[in-house]
Amino acid sequence: MSNFREAQNQAHPNKTSTLMLALIVILIMNVSLQIWLLYTALNNALAENTDIAFPAFIASFVLFLIGAGWLYFLPNQVRRKNINF
Amino acid sequence: MATDEKDNHWKEDFPIEQLEATQVTRRDFAKFLCLVSGGLATGSGYVAVKANFFPPEKVQGEHLVCKKSELPKGGTRSFVITGSTIPYILIRLETDEFRAYEQKCTHLSCAVFYMPKSGKIECPCHDGWFDALTGEVLAGPPPRPLPRLEVVIKGEDIYVKEFETNAANPFNTSST
Ligand code: FES
Repeated sequence: MSNFREAQNQAHPNKTSTLMLALIVILIMNVSLQIWLLYTALNNALAENTDIAFPAFIASFVLFLIGAGWLYFLPNQVRRKNINF
Repeated sequence: MATDEKDNHWKEDFPIEQLEATQVTRRDFAKFLCLVSGGLATGSGYVAVKANFFPPEKVQGEHLVCKKSELPKGGTRSFVITGSTIPYILIRLETDEFRAYEQKCTHLSCAVFYMPKSGKIECPCHDGWFDALTGEVLAGPPPRPLPRLEVVIKGEDIYVKEFETNAANPFNTSST
């Protein structure tokens, strides 16, 4: 039996792709920002300028939370209904 | 199918085709990115804790390195401080000034060398250059100046002790 969601997915199969692409691009941007934050914090900490380390951690953690929450919007796997072997 | 008579129930329990099993799905990739993100946040946390609560140990007291006469002008001497494994280098510049630095490049920890008559310290690994007078980076990839020790001359003996940086501006190590 087909429902609304399934019919939608079949009519517009590109939607999942677009959503997926957006998700992955945002996640990659988050990770890049975090790499930059870590690099900066580490270099400053080694130069005995420790003030930046804690704010950088907070920012990094917030970015992680955003990324984790973002996963909620992952499109569901398209399940093959009938498996015939 | 040739195997039709056999028991094929395992295929229902594990309904993934071979091709699919070898591919990383975009879902998995997104989840992996999230994992990396968590790892980076943890790393930042580690740096923050380490920087704020476990500062690097300072060199305690004064340590004898060698006699003045053992070091000609333009000469260098490697030494370690008892109780630590950090390699240091003592330099007697051509201007008869003494300088002591950590002999570890701030880029990727290669050993650095004084280039005689140039007033510069060279890191041969990636062509990094430091000023022998201040430890400041002159060229190349090192991101920070060389950590420095203070040299104290007492008669004929050369001692080193912790270098006091200007507290208001930790990046400025040029003041003596
Ligand atoms: S390790 Fe010294 S320049 Fe790279």
